[in-house]
Amino acid sequence: MNDVWQSDWSLMTPEWIVLAVAVVLLLIDVAMPDERSRRPLAWGAALGAVLALGATAALIPAEPASILHGTFRLDSFAKAFKLLLLAGGALALLIVAGWNPKEGSRYGGEFAYLLLFALLGAMMTASSGDLLTLFVSVELLTVSSYILAGLRKTVAASNEAALKYVINGGIATAVMLFGMSYVFGLTGTTNLNEIARRLQETNEPYMLALAFLLLLIGVSFKLAAVPFHMWAPDVYEGAPVPATAFFAVVSKTAGFVLLLRLLVTMFAAAPAEGRDPSSLLLSMQPAIAVLAGLTMIIGSVVALRQRSLKRLLAYSSIAHAGYLLAGFAAMSWAMIDSLWIYLLAYLLMNMGAFAIVSHIVDETGSDDWDGLTGLYRHRPLLAAALGLFLLSLAGIPGTAGFIAKLHLFIGLVVTEPGHYVLAAVMAITTVISYVYYFNLIVQLFFRPLFSSAPLGRMSAGLSAAVVLCALGTLALGWAPGLAYNVLAQFDHFGDFLP
Amino acid sequence: MSNIYANSYAIVFVFLCLGVLLPVGALTLGRWLRPHVPSEAKETTYESGNNPFHDSRIQFQVRYYLFALLFVIFDVETVFFYPWAVVYDQLGLFAFVEMVLFITLLALGLIYAWKKKVLRWM
Repeated sequence: MNDVWQSDWSLMTPEWIVLAVAVVLLLIDVAMPDERSRRPLAWGAALGAVLALGATAALIPAEPASILHGTFRLDSFAKAFKLLLLAGGALALLIVAGWNPKEGSRYGGEFAYLLLFALLGAMMTASSGDLLTLFVSVELLTVSSYILAGLRKTVAASNEAALKYVINGGIATAVMLFGMSYVFGLTGTTNLNEIARRLQETNEPYMLALAFLLLLIGVSFKLAAVPFHMWAPDVYEGAPVPATAFFAVVSKTAGFVLLLRLLVTMFAAAPAEGRDPSSLLLSMQPAIAVLAGLTMIIGSVVALRQRSLKRLLAYSSIAHAGYLLAGFAAMSWAMIDSLWIYLLAYLLMNMGAFAIVSHIVDETGSDDWDGLTGLYRHRPLLAAALGLFLLSLAGIPGTAGFIAKLHLFIGLVVTEPGHYVLAAVMAITTVISYVYYFNLIVQLFFRPLFSSAPLGRMSAGLSAAVVLCALGTLALGWAPGLAYNVLAQFDHFGDFLP
Repeated sequence: MSNIYANSYAIVFVFLCLGVLLPVGALTLGRWLRPHVPSEAKETTYESGNNPFHDSRIQFQVRYYLFALLFVIFDVETVFFYPWAVVYDQLGLFAFVEMVLFITLLALGLIYAWKKKVLRWM
């Protein structure tokens, strides 16, 4: 037991900060009189996330290490993705700080610290080196998310969203756990690196392929990849907007972290049936490619028919998950780098868009896109910012979305053999997505004002989120070197695999 | 390795078949063997000897649900405490610290429930 005391607990500094802030906020919330506004708590939570972000950045030079018998790993992968998760969490908390729903909220405090607990789960997922910690941290994230989805207790849609999320999430968890049980049965250990080592010695291609597919299906539910996406639009629509932003960005990032940690670590070197291809992961590429292709096509085609802004962004996020899955299916040597860049760009443009949608939903009481019509006439800056995020989501040059998509696209065609079909699907669905993004831009800039009452002033939290996201989107679009410099510190994630 | 693994599942399959077939077989067999003489007294709901009085579909107090939830949490706490107490001497200080953390987290939950007036009967 002595080694537990002598572990280098400083590796967990960001997690400790998030946990401590969440617990302190809970105590403050409980001690506060009921009628006081909970908005300062959201600001405190955002501050905590920023502190943890700083702590993670300070840990970047640290050597890769693991504590607690290899269950907690701090390698370059964990550091890089924790930066994304914490940045996304901080922006989501800024949106929470600016959240002002029509029906009023008695649960602003819960919102802030449940979001922090969910963030903690996502961070632990990035650092897990063991099936058990991986599972527990994913559950911490999802169980907190279920409650976040249902926080508008008096609104029927929110209750429906929470229920659908619980049921679908429960099924996903069960399927994933079943897959894990096969892996454990074949190797007799839960440590990921140890599993990877022992799987090289086993000769169970069919059993392993079954385990792989079960895990892939379980994770696809969490990523809302087609055909396991049916819950996403309803949950995104019913949940409060800051929670939707959190699900779309942080939960999705955590889903990809889970995908990489689970499938790549365990199966990259596992033997497959026959001699060629040599690895189970590579032999499963077609399954992932089909999933990616379907997700891109269905996500962008169904988005064409949406008038609700939240549903539209939900389907758009499904399409983006498809692009990311295509990048994963390519398995080029720079796969993790390009996924990281895409998730960074996705974080900036989506958080910005959700911040503005949150303002519109709070002011007009509905999320129909009429709320946007003619916005340029009386709020030109806001319209310009939303226009920028939409251009970035569409992947127009000069924005972050373009650079990120370019990376995924190059990854698809430079591998040997190239994934030309997936690349073509990606190009075509990108063009389809122009239709609905540009439709919104037409609504914003070229239509007369629809509603008579002009929108009120934006709260400080929302404005801060919009400004940060807009600056980031532009910076990454014009000077992608900024992101490359950060990535260069991780050296192509060489220490990801044992 | 493969054989052992697959054979273990064969046993599971056998148990599954047994589990499905036993009640089906027993009930079918009973149907063939027993005499079939229905009367009104036999068709009443079985209530361990009491006469059933009103409809079984009544509204329960939803408040019981919160108590049940709290009960489960503290029940599980006890389940964790027993094995820990039994091997306390061998586990040493670290397990003690872990348990203190565990109790603290549960206490936080209790404080939360208390402040949200879950414990008050209204």
